[in-house]
Amino acid sequence: MGLSLGEKNYIKGGIADDLRCDGRRRLDYRSIAIDTGVIPQANGSARVRMGSTDVIASVKAELGKPSSYRHDCGKVSIFVDCSPTAAPMFEGRGGDELSTELSVALERCLLGGKSGSGAGIDLSSLKIVEGKMCWDLYIDGLVISSDGNLLDALGIAIKAALSNTGIPKVEAMPGTSAEEEPEIDISDDEFTRLDSSKVPIIVTLTKVGRHYVVDATIEEESQMSSAVSMSVNRQGDVCGLTKRGGAGLDPSIIIDMVSVAKHLSQQLIATVDSEIYAAEARESSA
Amino acid sequence: MASKSGTISTYSPLFSRKNPNFTNGVRSDGRHFHECRLAFLRTGAVNAASGSAYAEFGNTKVIVSVFGPRESKKAMMYSDTGRLNCSVSFTTFSTPIRGQGSEHKEFSSMLHKALEGAIMLETFPKTTVDVFALVLESGGSELPVIISCASLALADAGIAMFDLVTSVSVSCFKDDLVIDPVFEEESCQDGSLMIVCMPLRNEVTQLTVTGEWSTPKVHEAMDLCLGACSKLGDIMRLCLKEAASTLQ
Amino acid sequence: MEGKSEELEGEMEVEAYRRLFPLQFYERHLSDSVRPDARPLNKARPTSIVPAPLPSADASAMVKIGNTTMLSGIKLEIMFPSSDSPDEGCIAIDFHMPPICSPMVRPGRPAEAAPVISQQLNNVIMSSKLIDLKELSIASGKAAWMVYLEIYCLDADGALFDAALLSAVAAIAHLEIPPVCLNEEGRVVSSQGQAETNTDNNGNTNNSNTEKRKLTLGSIPFSLTCLLHKQYLLVDPTDEEESIMPSLLTVVLDTSGHLISLYKPGGPVLAYTSTTKNCVALATRRVKELEKILKEALSEMDVIEN
Repeated sequence: MGLSLGEKNYIKGGIADDLRCDGRRRLDYRSIAIDTGVIPQANGSARVRMGSTDVIASVKAELGKPSSYRHDCGKVSIFVDCSPTAAPMFEGRGGDELSTELSVALERCLLGGKSGSGAGIDLSSLKIVEGKMCWDLYIDGLVISSDGNLLDALGIAIKAALSNTGIPKVEAMPGTSAEEEPEIDISDDEFTRLDSSKVPIIVTLTKVGRHYVVDATIEEESQMSSAVSMSVNRQGDVCGLTKRGGAGLDPSIIIDMVSVAKHLSQQLIATVDSEIYAAEARESSA
Repeated sequence: MASKSGTISTYSPLFSRKNPNFTNGVRSDGRHFHECRLAFLRTGAVNAASGSAYAEFGNTKVIVSVFGPRESKKAMMYSDTGRLNCSVSFTTFSTPIRGQGSEHKEFSSMLHKALEGAIMLETFPKTTVDVFALVLESGGSELPVIISCASLALADAGIAMFDLVTSVSVSCFKDDLVIDPVFEEESCQDGSLMIVCMPLRNEVTQLTVTGEWSTPKVHEAMDLCLGACSKLGDIMRLCLKEAASTLQ
Repeated sequence: MEGKSEELEGEMEVEAYRRLFPLQFYERHLSDSVRPDARPLNKARPTSIVPAPLPSADASAMVKIGNTTMLSGIKLEIMFPSSDSPDEGCIAIDFHMPPICSPMVRPGRPAEAAPVISQQLNNVIMSSKLIDLKELSIASGKAAWMVYLEIYCLDADGALFDAALLSAVAAIAHLEIPPVCLNEEGRVVSSQGQAETNTDNNGNTNNSNTEKRKLTLGSIPFSLTCLLHKQYLLVDPTDEEESIMPSLLTVVLDTSGHLISLYKPGGPVLAYTSTTKNCVALATRRVKELEKILKEALSEMDVIEN
C-alpha cells in the first residue's frame, strides 16, 4: 500500500479518536450485502459485499469415500483463490500465499477440532453408506475485489452458501456385501437442506496503534501491527482463532479481544441471519 | 529399481490404532494432564550451518538449521530490513504412515509468523536469514517444538532477537486440558490451543485455537501454556549458557 | 599481553591465507603429509553408528563420519508382487539432501549430488545381493513387502556416499519383519497378539508367523572415497577438500574382499592403475574397521532390545 506519511497519520489518528476515515467508529461494520444462488451449477453459492470488498463462495457436493479413521463422516475442504482482478499484487503467483493463509484460517475457524467438536457442519449428516460412501463438500472462495477484512467476508459468504446448499437425496440399495461398492440412486429433484445454523461467524480485530478496529479497510490493514481473527458460534463459544501480523500482544489484551469479539459476534450473527433470510426470499421469488 | 517401484501402489498393513485413555488423571505415557514431556535441547547439531539446534520432546525429534544472513535471491527487490525465509519438511519415515517428505507449506508459514515478530530484522538489511527445519520423527506437538527449536538455532547463529521464542500447545478433551499432547492424543482431540510467546517480554507472537472453547476455558489454557512457555524459556537459556561455557 | 596479540595476528593470517589461497594452503600441508585437521593422508575420520534412533520407523540408523551425518529410516509397506516375480518383494532406496544439511541446498533447488548418490546406492545394494528379495514375500503372487529405505543427509561435510551406504546397511542389518497374515479380503493385517488363532485357521498364510524375524544378509558392502590430487591420495575427504580438489575415486568392497563397485566421476586428475590399486588396498583396510564398528553397533542394539 503506497501511503504517504500524512495519510498514515490520518488513519492512525482517526482510529485513536474513534472516528475512522469513512465515518465509522472503531467497532462499527460496513453495511453487508448478501446474494445467494449466484452460481447455478454449484450446490450452493453466495456473494458477499462489504464496502468494496467483494467475495463469492460456492459449495460443490461430490460422492467420495470416507477417510479410514472416521468412516461414518463426510469430508469438507476449503480452498480460497484470490483473483488477479482484486489487486495488482495477486497477479501471477502473487496471490498464492494469501490464498493459502486464508484457506488455512477458514479451515481452522469453521471445521473444528480433530474429533469434530466445534465443527460448523455436522459431518455425520454427509454419510451415505458407512465406511463406503459419503458426500465430500468442496467449498471454494473467490476474492473478486479486496478492500480489507477478507476473512470475515469469506466466513459470511461460506455461511450463506452453506445455508443455500441443497444436497441431492440418495437411496442406497440394500443387501450389498461388504466388499462390493454400494449401488446408489441419486435423486434429481429432491434435495435436503444443509443445516448452517451452527456455522460460526468470524470476527477479526485489527490492532492499529494502541486500539483495535473491526472490519478494517485495506488502508487500515496496511497500518496494523497484528490482527486476531476469532470464529464464534451462536452459543458464544470460541470455535477457532488465528493471529496475523508479526508484532507480539500482551496476553491480557488477547483475553480482552476475545470478550469483545464474543460480544460483537452475537450482533453480527443476527445481522447476517436476517440478510441471508432476505436474500433467499429474493432468490425464490425471482 | 527406484523408477520401477514408483509405479507400484503399496499400502501400510492395518495395525490397530491406539486411542489415548486417561485413567485416574494419568495419560498413556504416564504423565499427568499438566505435565510436559521431558525436553532435550542442544545447539550446534549441524556443522555446515551458521547456527543449528536439535530438540527432542518424547518421540518428537526436530533439527533446525539457520543459514545467513546471506545474499537475498537475485529476484528479490532491495529491502532496508532483513528477510526471513522459513521452510519445514518431514522425513518420509517420521509419521506412522509413510509420508511424502515434501515441504509442509502450512507449518512453514506458521513458523515464519511465529518468528518474524521476535527477530530484529533491521540489523541485517538487504540480506536473508534462512531457517530450515526437518522433523525426523513426529510424536505429536511438532509445530511448537519446531518453533522453540528454531529460536534456539537463531540464537546459536547469533541473530539478534528481542527474546527467545517458545511455544507450547494444549489439547482439549471435553473438560480436560492436556498439555504437550502426543500423536495419539492429537489425532482425537476435541480442540487445541497453541501459544507462541516471548516469555521475558510477556508477549504473544502467535496464537491459534481450533475446536469449540468457552471463554473461561481459553483463559485456563492460555495460563497453562504461558506457564509452560516461561519454563521452557529457562531451559533454553540454560542450554545456550552451557554451550557458551563449553566453548571457552 | 603483547605476545598474545601477536599470536592472534599470526592466526588471522593463516585463516586469511586459507580463504584466499585454499589450494596453496592445502598443498603446503600435503607436502608435510598432514591435513589441516591434523589427520595423516590415509586416515579416515572417527566413525560412529547410533543404533535405532527412531522407534517409530521399522528400522533406523544414524551414522557420523567426522561431521558428516546421515540418518536412514525404513518403512515397510505391502505390495502386490509383479507377475514376473510373484514370490519377490522390492526395495526402493532414496537419498535426500534436505536444506538443513548444507548452505548449498535451498528449498526448491535440490542438490545435484542427491540423485547421483541415490542411484549409486541402488546399484551397490542391489548388485551386492545384500538382501534376498524372496525373503520379502508374504504370500506368493498375493502380497510381499516393499522396503522403503530412505537416507537423509543431516550434515554434509564430504564423503557423503560412504556415510550414506554405511547408514543404509546399518538400518537394513537390524530390520525386523513384523508378523502379519492375510485376512479374508486379501489385505495384510498385523498378526501380533491375535496371531495364534489366525494362523491355525488360515491355511494360506505363507511366510507369516508370530515372531518378528530378521533378514538373512548376504555379503555386506562397505565403501571408501579417496581424493586424488597430484601425487597425493587423501582418504575420506571433507567438504572443503572436495571443493578445492575435485577428483574423487570411490571403492566399494564387500566383507570377503570382492570388488562391488569402482566409481571415478571424471575430474582433472587421472587415476593410474597403481593409484587404483592403492585405493583398493586402503579400502580393504577400511572395510575391516567399518565391519567392526557395525558389529559393535548391532550387538549394542540387541542389548537395548533385550
